[in-house]
Amino acid sequence: MDRRKFLKASAVVVGAAALPAMATAQTTGGTFDLTIEAVDSEMIDGVFVFSLMFFDRSQEGRPILEVTEGDIVTINVTNLDTRPHGFGIPGIPAASVASIPPGGSATVRFTAPVGGTYMYIDPTLAPLNRILGLYGAFIVHPKLGTTAAGSPTPYSRSTHTPQVAALFDALGVHKRFPGNKWVPRDVERDKLWLFSQVDPLIAARVDAGEVIPPASVVPSFLPRYFMINGLSGYDTAPHKIDASLDWSKGSGRIMPHGREGQPTLIRNMNAGLCTHSPHIHGNHIFKLSDTRANGTVVLNTSCYELDAWPMEPMARRDVLLPFEKPIDAVVWPPKEEPFPMRYVMHCHTEMSQTAGGGNYPQGMVTHWEMTGPL
Amino acid sequence: MQAADWTKTGVKGELTYSTFGCNPFQESNFPTPDRVAPDVNVERHMDVSLELPTPDGQKIRVWTFTDPLAPTVAGRAPMHPAPLMRFRQGQIVHSTLDPKKNAHTLHHHGIEPTTVNDGVGHVSFEVNARYTYQFRPSRAGTFFYHCHRNTPLHFEMGMFGPMIVDPPEGPGTLFSGGPKYDVERLLVLDDMDPRWHTLEHDAGMCGLDVGLNRFDPKYFLANGVFNNRTTTDPRVVINAKLGQTILIRLLNASYSVLETTIGLPGICHSMDGCSLGTEPWSSPLPLPANRPFTMSSAQRRDIIIRPTARGTFPVRFRFLHWVNGKVQDNGRGIVDTRIIVS
Repeated sequence: MDRRKFLKASAVVVGAAALPAMATAQTTGGTFDLTIEAVDSEMIDGVFVFSLMFFDRSQEGRPILEVTEGDIVTINVTNLDTRPHGFGIPGIPAASVASIPPGGSATVRFTAPVGGTYMYIDPTLAPLNRILGLYGAFIVHPKLGTTAAGSPTPYSRSTHTPQVAALFDALGVHKRFPGNKWVPRDVERDKLWLFSQVDPLIAARVDAGEVIPPASVVPSFLPRYFMINGLSGYDTAPHKIDASLDWSKGSGRIMPHGREGQPTLIRNMNAGLCTHSPHIHGNHIFKLSDTRANGTVVLNTSCYELDAWPMEPMARRDVLLPFEKPIDAVVWPPKEEPFPMRYVMHCHTEMSQTAGGGNYPQGMVTHWEMTGPL
Repeated sequence: MQAADWTKTGVKGELTYSTFGCNPFQESNFPTPDRVAPDVNVERHMDVSLELPTPDGQKIRVWTFTDPLAPTVAGRAPMHPAPLMRFRQGQIVHSTLDPKKNAHTLHHHGIEPTTVNDGVGHVSFEVNARYTYQFRPSRAGTFFYHCHRNTPLHFEMGMFGPMIVDPPEGPGTLFSGGPKYDVERLLVLDDMDPRWHTLEHDAGMCGLDVGLNRFDPKYFLANGVFNNRTTTDPRVVINAKLGQTILIRLLNASYSVLETTIGLPGICHSMDGCSLGTEPWSSPLPLPANRPFTMSSAQRRDIIIRPTARGTFPVRFRFLHWVNGKVQDNGRGIVDTRIIVS
């Protein structure tokens, strides 16, 4: 075996040193240092699959890069794999480098665009390198994100639609939404669901040195593992919550958690090849944003409510989980039923609920919890 | 009835790798918390005896829920999809599951009750001998119900049925303040992979690889009618007189991305049981004639159509593969029907 990383993230192996996935990268003056490395990554059922991953200096896979609109962002990418790779952020043309040879480095420098949710990928041999694991989240916070009425939003005011502004203005005011406004830069109110799928057979062929024509990937793709932020099933929610839990990384970044009246943003992205249909129990979500064909973020002119929503490959779609009281509960707050109210989120295209060919619900599933009434 | 012991459920019981994925909590005759007198009672039992004759001369076994309280023998018989539940907005509903054999759950999809009334095993419990789910639907629209145990398999096997919530004024109005309609057609679109229909009820649980990541449907149905008869079967075809308003309630109960093309213009007035345009952040969505739109699995659309001329107008559903986007079964995954305006 070469010097590749060996990532254990699963709860299957009791006592294994689990690497918290997808921490927020620390920037120094808007600079990120990323590496591209080969990894043996453990799936939920204990199988290790060859993957390729971006790392940062904290040695945590797929760092979440967070910046503010207008920042001068510098991303240094070093390719530690034996194959050429590239870097790109769809929707930010300047954040692109076509090819980095094995052992080489490249730098992209650009001005952070308006607030929104972006994905960084290796676009070379698309979609092959992306489905091998080379993807991550790039989040731009707005410089001026409030509505004219002063409600905080995750988006730059210049891009607000009247509907997005009306919804954020209603939070904490409208009879449906007693409680709080949305709170920016609070990792408890800003969640990330980055969907992906793993086909171990394609991964093994790449690992064995086979050159796979990119056009053959979609027709032959048979995923066996389905993830959110690189995690599956039991691993996608923290099952013990105490003061030591870091909400900025791992399952803490996935699982929405709070009292009634604490609206939470969920940034949905799909790095894989399957069209998912995430379905949330307990509350409907409001659809806030979509992605234009050129990759830029567009805010919706109808923020309608859904309990299942399509996530096609490369889609990026922010939704708002209102943390409304479960509106069809007969007695609220409940007298005989304890908190937390815990609700599942799973993909209704149910093949994604499997791992290694079976075993619901160890696939692309998590839950959210309401810890108490207002 | 005894008070609930929450430590035996996923509400207070320890969520472990096993209880989450392999052996979720199960309970018998669990007392419904905060139980109040209902306005309406429904009950569902499980049935595995139904076999549907397929267009290619085979039989495919489906599982379904039956309605033991139905007033007629035919209404109590196994059917696919399972019998409609229909409530009024604001009614207190008691929906009792008696699984009869093995454990199952009822999840009333789109309804938002408390955790133990939501019907998901690992965060509450699976039902191995009667449980009464309690909720009060607060929105008028189109919903459905399904088993949430070993969901990939049980939902595909047919353990689902449609559910409609009418506004207080009753059928004929989509939601209070919303459009009225004369002709209502619920269309439940489904696809079946015959390989899945040979599996046992626990297939895929506890680490067994039975290939539930692969779904290759060969049969395509609307309202339980196979697609060789959907252009003529009265359970599917929509008949209206000129001047009448048509409401189509669409449910994608398939595992495909469902692409719908309607030969008449319409307006989508609600999605996933939520009305559009009643609050300032949403508005109804125009659907021009012959412009395809897609729904992912489990989505619903309520569409109002007001024909302005007599004629026969096509409705086509194409079932698209979740990876390659192609029409399933080498292009055969299509259900056609018609709107006949006389």
